[in-house]
Amino acid sequence: MIDPVPVALLALVLACALATAVLRDVLAAIIAFAAYSLGIAMIWVLLEAPDVGLTEAAVGAGVTTILFLVTITKTVRPPSEAIFESLDPKGLLVAVLIAGVLASTLGALPPVGSAETPVAQSEVTDYYLDNAYEQTEVKNAVTAVLAAYRGFDTMGEAVVVFAAGVGLLVVLGREVFA
Amino acid sequence: MIDAALAAGPVELLATRSYYVGTFLLLGIGAYVMIASPNLVKKVIGMNIFQTGIFLFFIAAAYVDGAQSPVLEQAGPYVSPLPHVLILTAIVVGVSLTAVALGLIVRIYNEYGTLEADVLQEVRTDD
Repeated sequence: MIDPVPVALLALVLACALATAVLRDVLAAIIAFAAYSLGIAMIWVLLEAPDVGLTEAAVGAGVTTILFLVTITKTVRPPSEAIFESLDPKGLLVAVLIAGVLASTLGALPPVGSAETPVAQSEVTDYYLDNAYEQTEVKNAVTAVLAAYRGFDTMGEAVVVFAAGVGLLVVLGREVFA
Repeated sequence: MIDAALAAGPVELLATRSYYVGTFLLLGIGAYVMIASPNLVKKVIGMNIFQTGIFLFFIAAAYVDGAQSPVLEQAGPYVSPLPHVLILTAIVVGVSLTAVALGLIVRIYNEYGTLEADVLQEVRTDD
């Protein structure tokens, strides 16, 4: 029994990714990528990951798209006579090899949604779900793990964001606090 | 388990693992855009597609049929929160990466006046 909704969403996402790949105009590719992020955000909701879906919609479809648009207004949107990119045989070969080699592992992967996957049966998963509310008093287990159990990870993430901000100012030669 | 999956036939294999197939295709498309597109901005878009392909693998691995999202209010079962946390971190790091890459692209354009990788190579060998 095949559920049509996930298949339709996957088809939408793959179509948007393909459109991004073949469209020659950079602005068109950016718009296709924004649609792609929206589709991916809907897939996260279907897969019971609403926190990831919210972040993807805000950051993937929102902030990233704005960053791309700002970049092409500050640089150039190359004039394009052709609508589609010409095919690159070498790139296609590498892409098909990557997808093919990965696809050969498909039979060894557990079915999606099975209760016997290593993730679902992991002790770590059970520990978080059993103890998160008692130990952190946060009902959302994702928030509990993010801010409490793996707080150092999140601090590392904040360091990365800070380093990216500093790096960006250095690269662009801006002196904000001069 | 592998033998059982193979015995069920390719259609069953694809239907029960469609998200993994999606992951593999997205990784292929992302790699293609990074290699084939001469435009630097499109290369960064390809990198983003490649990243989300990996995210799809993690979130699909956490999913359990009939389970709730890990908000501990109703009765379980719940999907595992850990892959969600890892991917939340990865999304934010991915955006930082994209921002720095695009900053470098703006700088490259200011210095060399082009965003095409092949033209850039010629300009640099002329210097």
